Amino acid sequence: MQTPAHAGRLITPVMVGVALLLLTVPLWIAKVGLYQYIGVEILIWAIYALGFNLLLGTAGLPSFGHGAFFGIGAYAFGLTQFHVAANLWVCLLGGILAASLAGALVAGFVARRRGIYFAFLTIAFGQVFWFIAMKARDVTGGEDGLLPIARLPADFGIVSFDLTGNTALYFFVLALFLVTVVALWRLTYSPFGRVLSAIRQSELRAAHLGYQVVLFKMLAFIVSAAFAGLAGSLFAMAQGGAFPEVMALHYSGYIVMMVLVGGGMVSFWGPVIGVVVFLLARDLLGAVTLTWMLWFGLLFVAVILFKPEGIAGVFQDLRRRFSRQPQAPAQPAARSTS
Amino acid sequence: MFTLIPFLINGLTLGLLFALIALGFMLIVGVMEQINLAHGSLFALGAYVAYALLGPPLPLPAGVGEWWAGLPLGLRYALALVVAPCIVGLLGILIEQGMRRTYGKDPLFGLLLTFGAAMVIEDVIRSIWGTRDYILPTPDAISGGFIALNLIWSTYRFFAAFAAAVFILLTWLLIERTRFGAVIKAGAHDSEMVRALGYDLAKLRIGVFAIGTMLAAAAGVIMAPIWGIRPHMGVDAVIPAFLIIVLGGVGSFWGAVIAGLMVGMVIGLTAAYASEWSLLSMYILLIVVVTFRSRGLFGKKSILEA
Repeated sequence: MQTPAHAGRLITPVMVGVALLLLTVPLWIAKVGLYQYIGVEILIWAIYALGFNLLLGTAGLPSFGHGAFFGIGAYAFGLTQFHVAANLWVCLLGGILAASLAGALVAGFVARRRGIYFAFLTIAFGQVFWFIAMKARDVTGGEDGLLPIARLPADFGIVSFDLTGNTALYFFVLALFLVTVVALWRLTYSPFGRVLSAIRQSELRAAHLGYQVVLFKMLAFIVSAAFAGLAGSLFAMAQGGAFPEVMALHYSGYIVMMVLVGGGMVSFWGPVIGVVVFLLARDLLGAVTLTWMLWFGLLFVAVILFKPEGIAGVFQDLRRRFSRQPQAPAQPAARSTS
Repeated sequence: MFTLIPFLINGLTLGLLFALIALGFMLIVGVMEQINLAHGSLFALGAYVAYALLGPPLPLPAGVGEWWAGLPLGLRYALALVVAPCIVGLLGILIEQGMRRTYGKDPLFGLLLTFGAAMVIEDVIRSIWGTRDYILPTPDAISGGFIALNLIWSTYRFFAAFAAAVFILLTWLLIERTRFGAVIKAGAHDSEMVRALGYDLAKLRIGVFAIGTMLAAAAGVIMAPIWGIRPHMGVDAVIPAFLIIVLGGVGSFWGAVIAGLMVGMVIGLTAAYASEWSLLSMYILLIVVVTFRSRGLFGKKSILEA
């Protein structure tokens, strides 16, 4: 990933622009033939994808079992609501903590692996958690899911916002999305993020420079699992339940597809682009044909073959072509090692 | 102890079947160091094509359809076992054409490419056959059951395990005892030298990919009467396949076969105590083994570790 302008800032002009655009979404989304809920869904998956890209794009670690942490967040949110306290903040914390703990457990096993072996082991762990979610019916409700999860009010002490409407939930998720963006931007371009980048380029070199590579990889894994847990918690609230579906291999693969199609390998915003394209394709193509995945799959195959930098990579090429000063040529697609 | 014998036999047959499922995947990863994540979808496609050949009459031109339906089921079954893999093998060649652009790059690209291909194939299957389950008819000679040890055993299961053993042996002969196998293994090791010796490596790779995907389809046809034909069977196949390869160690033929048997045994034995959770045991087996032996049981050094 190239270092963008304003990498050192807390809030960048692009962030402000994105925030302003997203704030206006409820005003026009119904007029363009979409509906409010898709906005909520896009933001939730964008949180998930941004967190995932810390692992895939920055650290170069291809996890194919990340759906597990998304699902664990969702279940933990529901279980905290049922058995601990029906308070939004407690439940969100429960979701994030549970996903982080599961992330730490898995990270302990996979942090010493690279490339394909890393991918394989994360598949295995993802399947384990999915399998448990399917079979532990007493806790998770099995295939039927954990129901009903309420949309709890956002209580700030003085004021309390009711989130049962999709528009209210949209603004709440948007706030958390913006927090996620700022946090991950700072993390990606912090010394910590730079070390992860160095590990992606060459794990051996990073180790020889004296960095504790395994520790950094574990931390990246846990942080990304925590964001998946946050997204999962919000998803449970949006859907009104937690379901094992999102933990299956397919969904773990979808998040990889979203991030790569969007261009997470070359751009911080790539994952967000990918989520928007994926979910809009699902809704718009899905309205026309039942086999929308066929077309999205073909798009994904084309991206891998012809433009591994994804949609953000196309944008970068265009900007480079139209800008006055010729910049350095694009880096080759990020790889797990060099 | 005696009560466990049925579970052990069950585990052994299951193990052979798992090894069969993993065989095509193993061939491609073993000699080409490429991950074919579409393996499961090709496996499923093989089963569906076999169903099209053996199930209700096809919409063929008049005469051909009747002629085909008039053949004895045994013969049609044998032909399906040949035709389905050939059709899937052609698709495999197509995938290889795309895959070759990723050779020499990070193996992750091949994995992602085939994941995309798997999505596409699954949706093609869904759009042709829908999401309902089908049952593949089997010839009378190998269906039904027999009684031994006071238990009813499925004849087809033993036939399938026998077929699996035959396929394993044939694949072993192909890679260890033929010139083709020797050249293709050399190609994975030192492609420049193999080219310099005048072999057309591109063609050999097409051959390997075609055989690997044909094995996937053949496994699909053989497993179809046991698992039933349903959209999820692709995932049900690809997960044990990759698991067996990682467990046995990439590049080791007998490692994969032994791992397949181990997985079958572990599932068979856990089924004796907790049938609901028996599939979980294979993941735990993998995690335990790979934690202590990072290359699996008999793995050699491979570029996939990079």
